[in-house]
Parts: sequence; C-alpha cells; structure tokens
Amino acid sequence: MLTKVRLMKLDRESITLLIMLAVLLLLPAYFHNDQYIMHILIMCLIYSVVAVGWDFMLGYAGIFTFGQFGFFAIGAYASGILTLHLGIPVPLGVIIGGLIAAGAGIIIGLPCLRLRGAYIALVTFAFHLILIPLINSDFGRAIGTGSTRGLLGVPPLAVGSYSFSVADKIPWYYILLGVAFLSFFAIYRITRSSIGLAFVSLRDSNKLAKSFGVDDFKYKLMVFGISAFFTGMIGAFYAHYTGIVSTRILGLDIFLMVMVMLVIGGMGRFPGAAIGAFIVTFLSEALRPLGEYRLFIFGAIVVAVIVLLPEGLMGVLFPTGRVGPGERFGRFIRRTFTRQPSKNSGKELL
Amino acid sequence: MRILQVNNLTQRFGQLAAVKDLSFEVEKGEIFGIAGPNGAGKSTLFDVITGFYRGSGDIIFDGRSIRGLRPHQICHRGIARTFQIPELFLTLPIVENVKVGAHFGGRGAHDERECINEAISFVGLQGKENVIAANLNLFDKKLTMLAGTLATRPKLLLLDEPISGLSPTETKECMTLIQRTQKELGLTIIVIEHLMKVLTEISQRLMILHNGEKICIGPPKEVTKDKRVIEIYLGG
Repeated sequence: MLTKVRLMKLDRESITLLIMLAVLLLLPAYFHNDQYIMHILIMCLIYSVVAVGWDFMLGYAGIFTFGQFGFFAIGAYASGILTLHLGIPVPLGVIIGGLIAAGAGIIIGLPCLRLRGAYIALVTFAFHLILIPLINSDFGRAIGTGSTRGLLGVPPLAVGSYSFSVADKIPWYYILLGVAFLSFFAIYRITRSSIGLAFVSLRDSNKLAKSFGVDDFKYKLMVFGISAFFTGMIGAFYAHYTGIVSTRILGLDIFLMVMVMLVIGGMGRFPGAAIGAFIVTFLSEALRPLGEYRLFIFGAIVVAVIVLLPEGLMGVLFPTGRVGPGERFGRFIRRTFTRQPSKNSGKELL
Repeated sequence: MRILQVNNLTQRFGQLAAVKDLSFEVEKGEIFGIAGPNGAGKSTLFDVITGFYRGSGDIIFDGRSIRGLRPHQICHRGIARTFQIPELFLTLPIVENVKVGAHFGGRGAHDERECINEAISFVGLQGKENVIAANLNLFDKKLTMLAGTLATRPKLLLLDEPISGLSPTETKECMTLIQRTQKELGLTIIVIEHLMKVLTEISQRLMILHNGEKICIGPPKEVTKDKRVIEIYLGG
C-alpha cells in the first residue's frame, strides 16, 4: 500500500526518466567490449544535455535561441584553457566552465530582453557565428584557444588519484550518465517550480505575465543563465573526454542534429529531448552508409514529425491534448502547407 | 479620497498623439467608466497607466508616482488589469493561470492556495479548475483572466471592454460580477466600454474620450446629456 502511494507521486516525466536511466545503466553490460558503440553512447549523453538545455529555453521558456553551441564551446574552451594552461583541477575547471558559459548566457540575454521570437534567434545565432573568428583570431590565441589549430592535449578528468582515460570508456560513460541525469533532474525540478511557472507564463502571454507581477527581465536572464550553465558544463566535459577542442564543435551539422533531437523527442515535453538525442544519434550512425543522403532522410523525417506528431515522441507516448509549442509549431507548418493562412499566421512563432 | 490622479498625460506614436494632455482623478471605491469611439485612446490610456508605455505627464497612485515603473512593479503597487482580447496562459489549466497572479502579484499573500480558491470561486469557475485555458469559451476565458487579476490582490482594477463579444445573459452576469467586485471586495474599478448603456448602469462617474482628449466627465446622467458627447456618438 505504502509503495503504491509512493508510486502515485511519481509523475510520468520522472517515470520516463527512471526507465531511461535503468536502461542506460545496463547498456554497458552488452556493449562494454565495443569501443565504438561506447563512444557513441557517451556522445549521446553529452548531446542529450545540450538538447535538454535547449528545450528548456525553447520549449519551456519559448525563447528562440540558436546560441546553445556557443555556450557549449565557451564551456569547453574555458575549462580546457584553465586546466591546460593554469593547472586548475579538472572538476573545478568543469564547474568554472559552466559558470563562464552562464555569464556569457546572461550577457547574450541582455540584448534579447526587449526582443521577441525570430529576432532573438538572429541575435543568438550571430553570437554563435562570431565565436569562430574570435576563437581563431589573435585575441583567441592570446587567451590560449590555440587558434585554428585547436586546443590540444586537454587533460582528462581526474578525481583524486584516479584519472579517466579516453581508452577506457566505461568509467567515462558512468560519470557522464551521472552528470547528465543530475542535470536533467535539476532542470526538471526548475520547470516544476515557481520559476518554471514564470517561464511558461512569459512564453504563453508576455503581456499578461507582466501584469500579473512577473518580472520578465529577471526571469529571461535566469533562463539564459541556467540553460547556458548546463550546456557549458557539458561542453567542458566534452573537452576533457576528447582531449581536443576546436571550432568544429560550432559546426552546423552538429547544430542541426541537436535541433532534430528536439523535434523528434518533443519540444517542451521533458524528457523528450534526451530521448531524441539517443534516437537521432543512433539513427545517424545507422544511416552512415548512405553518405550525403543521410541529411536528406533526416530532413524528411523532421518534416514528417512536425506535421504528423507535433509533440514528437513524447506526444505519442503521453498525449496531453494541450496546445504546446510543438503543437503550435506544427499548426503553423501545416497551415503553411495547406495554404490557409490564418489571421495571425506566423505570430505563433513570434 | 482619490486613489488615482492622472496629470497632463500624453502618449505619442510618431506624429499621432493617442492620448493628449489628459488629466482626471478617480475616487477610492467608485466604478469609473471610460467611453469613446474606436481609436479614442482608451486602451492606450490603460497601457500607459500599467507601464506598457511610458508616456509623458504624471500618474499618482495611492499618493505615490508610478510613472516610469515597469508593468510588474505597477502590479505590485496594487493595480491590476484585464485585456480587451483575452490574454491567458493557454497551455495551463485555470488554477495555474490564477496561481501566476497569486504567486507573483500577490505580494506575499500568506496563503496562496486560499487566495487562488477564493478568486476562482468569486468569479464562479469552481469545478473547472483543471480545464486547460485554451479549451475555454470566451466568457470563461474572461472570467479566468479576471480571477487571475483578483489573485494579485489589487486596490485598483482596470477592465478593458469586459463585455465585448458576450451574449446578453453573459453580459448581465458580467455586470453583476463587476458590481460585486466593487461592493464585496471593496475595489476601485475603471471600466472601458463601448456600450454607453452598460456604463451608465454600473458606473458612478463617466469620462468620454475622443481623439485622445477628454470631452467631458461627470455622473452618467449629465454626461449623456452633454452636447459634444451626443455629437460624437450620433455623428451630430
């Protein structure tokens, strides 16, 4: 009876997360000898945090940000530089990397305060694009980014006397599994708190939220800071895992892949983005023999999912009937395709 | 005792002055009606009072100037408003919609839960608490919006065309609700309305706006007899 009551208290998001965790905890039992699959699983974990951090902004707070990989890169470079050149311990470097990314997030958030929708997308994407020449410039060289050569020899994670080696993937897998799920849990708690209510209210109606006493500037900057912190922190882990940081992490291919993860998992439907990360990464590996046609197939899948399943996989697993951002996005696309422009077509996005 | 004093308020959009050198006062506890044709500057006036536009001139609420404050700060001072076209948090159920008002605007209401329940039952939405706002009809949407504003525990309530689009029965219900808000909750209310008939019935004083300017102000009986008002409304 007691267990029944306890189970009732877990909502479907937590249950989904726990099932996911259980499966992921067991996976190495089957794949521990396969370095390639273990590497992909580790990358899935890294991308899943990026995707969840992005979904936190896009799906929950309704802020159309394209700057997530900028935060990822800042976290990766910051922690890489601090540990490599200044000898700061890696665990501390990872946290500082996250904090520096959060600081960058808040700075990028400032010009976005008075902007809406597509304009925020432009500002944040400009930030993303500026980073590449900045990292490669003399300024970048001066602060130790290694310029076009990239940052080589980033020290691996070490806790006490134990050092994680890139050759041994199992410890990496478990530590990142822990980090990823702690991040998911933290972000989920935030979405369920009154802070999360403020985000959703600002997303649904900026005007009404403000007249109900929600300080829009404060909460918008908070979204940027929180999302950038987790993204930057996982970027730092990425740097220490691979040992190399270059501007390749700002490449559009990865950017688009994570976006596909969001759409397939279900925008604003936690933890859909995390599930999407696993599906898309593995699908992408499975389709590798198709070469360049892979992107074409991905494009087709995205269009199909947006039109048919606007809330992605989570919408299929747990239909709510509520009108989420995914649904609105889907309606927008469908309306565009069926050529029945509504009075405010396009407004859904802005 | 006056609760709101507006002094020489002007709001320009480029060349157009939507509100022009407007001054008026609202007494504590009254229902103050604002009427005027489309484009008279009624909604703009609300937007300036609630901080969405800055305007020039001064607005004094409860003895302190509120000009230059941001909307959420004005809410915390005790002014709440509704919107002409219902604004709601469409993905959230009614109870969460009202909760936003109670939590962020309630200024430390000691019992948030109670505050939410009171607001919901006051407007008569009990039993529908968990309905998602997007699935509500127009009247219930308006009621939800009103419940949310009440949950912010305001002293002054601004209602922007509360009855537009409602059926005759709903209109009557809505008018009773506005009067109950005044009497039972002791709020001061400013109502914008198109229909003169509704305003003359519920408001103690009435102001007519035209092209952003005050045409006349006074008890409904006097205002409806004013020559200029008749000209504007009937096209003289």
